[in-house]
Amino acid sequence: MLFKNTYNEFIKIVSKPRSYLGLGALTLLIGIIIFAMKADGESMVSFVTASFEQTLSFNGKLVNGNLIAFIILQMLVVHIPLLIALVTGDLISGEAAMGTIRMLASKPISRTQIVLSKFIAGAIYTLVITLWLGILSLLVSHVVFGTGDLMVLNSDGLVILPEADILWRFGLAFCVAFLSLLTVATLSICLSAFAENSIGPIVATMAIIIIFTIIGSLDVSVFDSIKPYLFTTHMASWRSFFENPVPFGEIMNSIVILLTHIVLLVGITLFKFNRKDITS
Amino acid sequence: MEQQTIIKVQNLSKKFGSFEAVKDVSFTVNKGDVFGFLGPNGAGKSTTIRCLLSLISPDSGTIELFDKSLQKNRSQILANIGSIIEKPDFYKYLSAQKNLEIFARISGATVSKKEILEMLDFVGLGDRAKHKVKGFSHGMKQRLGIAQTLLHKPELIILDEPTTGLDPQGIIEIRNLILRLKNEQNKTILLSSHQLSEIELIANRMVIINQGRSLVEGSVEELLNSEETVVRIEIDSVEAAIQFIQSKFNPQEISQISSKELEVLISKKRVPDLTKELVLAGFTIHAIEPKRKLEDYFIKTIQS
Amino acid sequence: MKKAILFGLLLAAFGAFGQEPEKVIDKINAKLATVKDYTVNAHIDADIPMIKIMPSKAKIYFKQKDKVKIESKGITILPKQGFTELNTFLSDKSKYTAIFGDSLKIRDVDTRLINIIPNSSSGEIVLAKIWVDQKNAVIMRSQVTTQTNGTVKTDFKYGSQLSYGLPSELKFEIDVKKFKMPKSVAADINKTSTDKKKTKSKPRTKGNITITLSDYDVNSGLSDSIFKEKKKNQQ
Repeated sequence: MLFKNTYNEFIKIVSKPRSYLGLGALTLLIGIIIFAMKADGESMVSFVTASFEQTLSFNGKLVNGNLIAFIILQMLVVHIPLLIALVTGDLISGEAAMGTIRMLASKPISRTQIVLSKFIAGAIYTLVITLWLGILSLLVSHVVFGTGDLMVLNSDGLVILPEADILWRFGLAFCVAFLSLLTVATLSICLSAFAENSIGPIVATMAIIIIFTIIGSLDVSVFDSIKPYLFTTHMASWRSFFENPVPFGEIMNSIVILLTHIVLLVGITLFKFNRKDITS
Repeated sequence: MEQQTIIKVQNLSKKFGSFEAVKDVSFTVNKGDVFGFLGPNGAGKSTTIRCLLSLISPDSGTIELFDKSLQKNRSQILANIGSIIEKPDFYKYLSAQKNLEIFARISGATVSKKEILEMLDFVGLGDRAKHKVKGFSHGMKQRLGIAQTLLHKPELIILDEPTTGLDPQGIIEIRNLILRLKNEQNKTILLSSHQLSEIELIANRMVIINQGRSLVEGSVEELLNSEETVVRIEIDSVEAAIQFIQSKFNPQEISQISSKELEVLISKKRVPDLTKELVLAGFTIHAIEPKRKLEDYFIKTIQS
Repeated sequence: MKKAILFGLLLAAFGAFGQEPEKVIDKINAKLATVKDYTVNAHIDADIPMIKIMPSKAKIYFKQKDKVKIESKGITILPKQGFTELNTFLSDKSKYTAIFGDSLKIRDVDTRLINIIPNSSSGEIVLAKIWVDQKNAVIMRSQVTTQTNGTVKTDFKYGSQLSYGLPSELKFEIDVKKFKMPKSVAADINKTSTDKKKTKSKPRTKGNITITLSDYDVNSGLSDSIFKEKKKNQQ
């Protein structure tokens, strides 16, 4: 039954026009970034290297497919949660708003299975978005710009990673980025179990992300104790794969915290949805 | 031969906050019944039906379907029920066929594509199978809803206000469909409505519910054919007729409705005599019509 | 700083004896002038604060008098100056005054310090010091202070191409005091707590770049066209 309903959920997602909004927006954004970088990438990079260039000269292809893919990833990871929440925030509340939840919940499928199948479908959608982001950014930017060493600007300086040492970093970075986006998807599905309209959970998800991000970036000691536990703090941990050496300990910590969030949020959703009287 | 009990609801209660939606409701539906669940809007019909479908968990009381506790055998029971609650809602962005496929997939039974198309034909939507539900009229959705309830060949069909919002033609269609289900497929049907006429036309048993309480339960026939009936008579010289009836039949109640009409409450058996005597006495009768007792009863019951 | 330089100059002036410094430089220039062009493979190992880069390979093309091209598959970081600037500067004797300084043993080789003081204050080089192996007429160490780049110290090691005066290893020590972290290209709002620890570590002010040069191909007659392309990337 779980598999059958997951299949159903997948059909619903695939048939909803808004599901393609995310993919379309992503494609457009990547197109715009690649166009901009093609037109003015050199000067953008020299803005980064400027302070070093008085004493050092950078040789080789600084603007290349790897750098562009990295820039795309860095720019879009902030915005993709909205595209994800647009679909996942609607998964439960959308059925309530449409009235189909009555039909669904009066079928011989347990509420737990309904919720889990929605999570699985939401996770698949998130995966598709992440893969689309990955394929499009890596592939297109490599086609347009060619390959090369990756120069990454971290807050503690420049890291230049040899070309042969990059692909696995992108691979793992996409995995961790997927995990952070999955946390967003889970959050919005959880909120969706509490609402009877689809806008609420979407807006609430974004509001939570924005608030947590602001708390995370405020340099106030009151928040120091909670910062490490905010999922938003760990949403950028994919980036750590581009440090040298890779801080695997920190990344593992982030993964554990993100997974904890996912498990907790699924738990809350199951608890809420199993006890929910369907009156809509 | 003892009839098999399909639904047995005992002392069902449910509160939403401080509002008691259902209070101590009990009723029994037997196999093959078209059971009317009658009550005005807001009487607690929907809440009770939602409890039957485990959409709402009751605060107290027991629900047994097919002689099994709903709580303990939820999936098994729901697999044998087809239902429309309030109005049939579908995934608007999907076609009629896709919608049925989705619901069939989780209905607990294996339903083939062919059966789905046949079902669409059965409810008269065969040529709309590929159309998105978005463009469907309320009547079409209602028919699609019925198709959805029948897909997995359930024994019990629960229809919550199935004719609400339909045009007269649509109402007749649905009514005929329900009768066919009973007669041809021997389904047990629970039908809720706030319209007596509807229940009266198709139900054989019923319960009347008001303000969350079940007031009376029984055979529609019995309730209809109770001893006393109100007869409306359209007649010349109403006053004289009233005097004549009073002296000859001594009815429980008699009243003048208009200058040409009177209503008299009288034992049903005496209606032929009443007609005969009036004619013999030289009154000109334009019309004589026993009024639907149940309607009277319904209005009285929910007013008391 | 300027006072220190003057003081140094005075000392150097008093200490001057024997062979004139210009003569020594002439010998060096003469030796270098025998090299019309060369190509060489470079292995670059940069250890610079705030920049993490793995050792990289490049091919360096040179042609008299100041044409340089660095060709690399990946990204390489080299000192802004170091290959030709000093040599070019030394080749025009009208631009500076050379004064002997102390002797010094560098890697068991006796060297003599020559202070190079530009005659005009408008040039890029403010002061250069070269430690010269007079026997082989090669520079063993240089320390060049420029207007904009601070001081770059270079250690030269020689191998098979000693006769041409071409080094087998260059070790640059660069001032990086002036490095400022540019703002990230993209909003990096999520990168927070984990970074704080790192930025607190004591800032280093010196960076090293070691370039090992091998497989020289000297005077093979490089065409000018090689140096024309890809000007952009040499910044």
